Amino acid sequence: MQTIRLFLASLLLCLSLLGAAWLQSRQPRPVSLLPTLTGQVEYCLTCHADLPEISPSHPVETFGCVLCHGGERLALDADLAHSTMRGGRNPSEFAVVEASCGSGDCHSGTAQDQRDHIQRAVTSVQGTYAGAIASIRFTYGAQSDQTARLGVYPVQDDHLTTATGLASLGTFDPSQESSPSVKAFADYCLDCHLSAEPLPGAQYARLTGCAACHTPTANTDLDQPVHHLTTAIPYTQCNTCHNRGNYDLRQMQFHPRTDQPVDRLHDYYQPIAQFVRCEWTLDCVDCHTRFEAMGDGDIHSNKKEIQYIQCRTCHGTLDELPLTRTIAGQDDLALRMAFLNPVIDLKVGDTVLVTEQGEPLWNTRQLADGAFELFGKATGQRFTFRPVMGTACEQKLDQQESRDCHECHSVKR
Amino acid sequence: MNKKQGPVSKLHRRDFIMVALKGTLGLSSTLGLIGLIRFLGYQSDPAPQTEFELGPASNFPPGSRTPVPEAQAVLYHMPAGFIALSLVCPHLGCVINSVEQGYACPCHGSRFDAQGQVLNGPAREPMRVLRVEQTPGGQLILYTG
Amino acid sequence: MKANPTRPSFFHHLHPPTIPAPQARFRYTLGAGGLSVYLVLLLVITGILEMFFYVPSPGEAAESVQTLAFLVPYGWLVRNLHYWAAQLLVVVAIIHLLRVVFTGAYAPPRRFNYLLGLALLLLSLLLDFTGYVLRWDEGVQWALVAGTNLVKSIPILGEGLYRLVVGGTQPGPAALIRFYAWHIFGLTLALVGVGAWHLFRVRRDGGIAVPPPEARRDASRISRFELVRREALAAILATAVLIVVASILPAPIAPPIREGSPLAAEARPPWFFLWVQQLLKWGDPFIFGVLIPVMVIVLLAGIPYWLPNPRPDELGRWFPAGNRAASLLLVILVIILLLLTILALSPLSTFP
Repeated sequence: MQTIRLFLASLLLCLSLLGAAWLQSRQPRPVSLLPTLTGQVEYCLTCHADLPEISPSHPVETFGCVLCHGGERLALDADLAHSTMRGGRNPSEFAVVEASCGSGDCHSGTAQDQRDHIQRAVTSVQGTYAGAIASIRFTYGAQSDQTARLGVYPVQDDHLTTATGLASLGTFDPSQESSPSVKAFADYCLDCHLSAEPLPGAQYARLTGCAACHTPTANTDLDQPVHHLTTAIPYTQCNTCHNRGNYDLRQMQFHPRTDQPVDRLHDYYQPIAQFVRCEWTLDCVDCHTRFEAMGDGDIHSNKKEIQYIQCRTCHGTLDELPLTRTIAGQDDLALRMAFLNPVIDLKVGDTVLVTEQGEPLWNTRQLADGAFELFGKATGQRFTFRPVMGTACEQKLDQQESRDCHECHSVKR
Repeated sequence: MNKKQGPVSKLHRRDFIMVALKGTLGLSSTLGLIGLIRFLGYQSDPAPQTEFELGPASNFPPGSRTPVPEAQAVLYHMPAGFIALSLVCPHLGCVINSVEQGYACPCHGSRFDAQGQVLNGPAREPMRVLRVEQTPGGQLILYTG
Repeated sequence: MKANPTRPSFFHHLHPPTIPAPQARFRYTLGAGGLSVYLVLLLVITGILEMFFYVPSPGEAAESVQTLAFLVPYGWLVRNLHYWAAQLLVVVAIIHLLRVVFTGAYAPPRRFNYLLGLALLLLSLLLDFTGYVLRWDEGVQWALVAGTNLVKSIPILGEGLYRLVVGGTQPGPAALIRFYAWHIFGLTLALVGVGAWHLFRVRRDGGIAVPPPEARRDASRISRFELVRREALAAILATAVLIVVASILPAPIAPPIREGSPLAAEARPPWFFLWVQQLLKWGDPFIFGVLIPVMVIVLLAGIPYWLPNPRPDELGRWFPAGNRAASLLLVILVIILLLLTILALSPLSTFP
């Protein structure tokens, strides 16, 4: 009798061990990755092996996943593994970007070594929204001039390089405002800066932080994560915030457009505005430079202080050729940008256009006959154009702003 | 089952249960042992590097003998091509020193000539020859695996 | 299993040749003492296995636990077994304490052995606590901060004792390595030593508490071989049950403690100290966190000395009339501790 009990107990023990062995066999086989930058093995690929490479400049064998995303590199339980991830699914959110994109001094540093991306983006007008806030507050009497004092988050800049740069911005707090119009502005109009969550809908689909521009999500379902970083930013990505509707400043309302624009020239832009062929053919990034889009490192009160590209930057004027620069060495910024987005095969010795502030228009090149070629950064399309000097242009010499060019060159729609 | 079998069948039943008991205990022990071996066999340290990028072939002119400390090897540019000798002593694994006319191991006194052949000492085998390959772009890669 | 009655093995020799059958029954002892011994054995084995992978350094401790839990084949099983055996040990030891008091088995000559048993309970709690801290993840923050600061609250000796326990001015690498040394060696050595003494005293004091021969209604006895068979059965069953539990319920795991780790909104101590956390909500840390728990221990220790003991002929059964006061005191104590534990878990328990 006693032996039977012992036998049954041993049988139970056997079965429990077999059960444990079965459970062990059901564990996912760990897939390891040893990134060269960290030297610490990670097992994220056990579950995420089907994720596409995020970009050619961030190969997973070099970076791994944890360097950017955080998380527990050894855990195979989803909740634990994801518990310490920075910024949830987007480590480029401004709240955590310094630890992610900025870690190891990759995208965080000085202007001298061209590693000040985060500093520039965080102080940019697109980031701080200082321009809109200052204009509205000035318009409704909350401040006496148009110099920005507040942003959507507080920010400081100890190193001013421009005449209009500000030292710091405080936080715009609607509860401290007395004007009802300014309060209404806070309620209805703060959906479009780099750290704001977008409005619902595929037309507004974008992430926040660096990914707002650099991860192309426009017109997709934001619930389907996009694992992609690019500098070839199509105009559709800009239009998740821009060209989305009309503001009514008296009612302080935003009236979103309700159509689904198809034809860029006829549908996309405001009916009353004028556009030249560049503006409905090229992508925004083909003209608007790094300083314009991401900031020059200084806090500015208005986008007018930072936006400076003009028709003449590429085309020159009747009595001036556009500024150019010949690439002298392998370290030239133009070469590095072209390497990141190889729509153009730039080489040392090529001559590219530069802006008045010295920014290279690296997707352009001077041709042998003095004309220029330009390659669309997002499309790769090639265009050629001649400088204005020596053409039949009838513009007065002292009226060379872009709006003056528009008088003749804009298209009737 | 015939209950009037008597003492013989009782013994058979007891033996059977005893066998069954020993069987299950044996099986449990075996399962436990297999699990234990798998448990202890897990290696947490990442495997050591076995491929080393040495740089452009032009950095190593013909006739040169260049130490590669991170790979514990010496790179030779022979007339026939690139080869490398492993500086891990074939005797018991100490790192061999380069000397005037060849190599000398500081641990037990093995001596090798410049080609890695044994001159003297407890080592019986020559220094291991390692494979070096050249990429289409002219970069040398050393394999120690 | 075919043991030679004239040449018993070492294991059989550890047991008396026969013991009274009624007191050997499961319904009398609940097998709690024996199960405790077996659980300690299981803990030592699984603990040694864990030592092959655990790294006692703040930067690597929690990650080595993750390695065990997710990457080592059957590492999850070893870890979960270790965890559940430890919690079960505390529960079973308490059940054993209850049984001993409710059957009056602490009466002379067993009073000293009762104290040894209490010491074993304390050592088990300390082992459970130090093991818990070794996880070095966000779940153990309370223990690290509040627990060690309780030591500091002791007057006169507090600062010195804190430096001894923590090895520095605040919990860090030194505290971790000390807790590790205590857990795998210091406390284990003490547990095994006091445990061996406790088992020796069981035999020297006459084995399981029984009435004197003339008062026994049932004089039957079981042999040492039968006793060992019963123990083997219990051990095999306990192992099987623990393996099933370990397979279904994982041991707790949380993100590692790192620079800037958040202290959870409701930092919790391990379950067996929840009653202390509840006490601490009511006032001075020394009084409520040190003095009162020490008084509980003193009260328990005093039962055989200060309260009436059962008569010798009353031994060998549950709830003899002679030690009603002791049983009542223990029941009240248990209820109070349970209430405090429940209160600690509910958010309503903090007074404004």
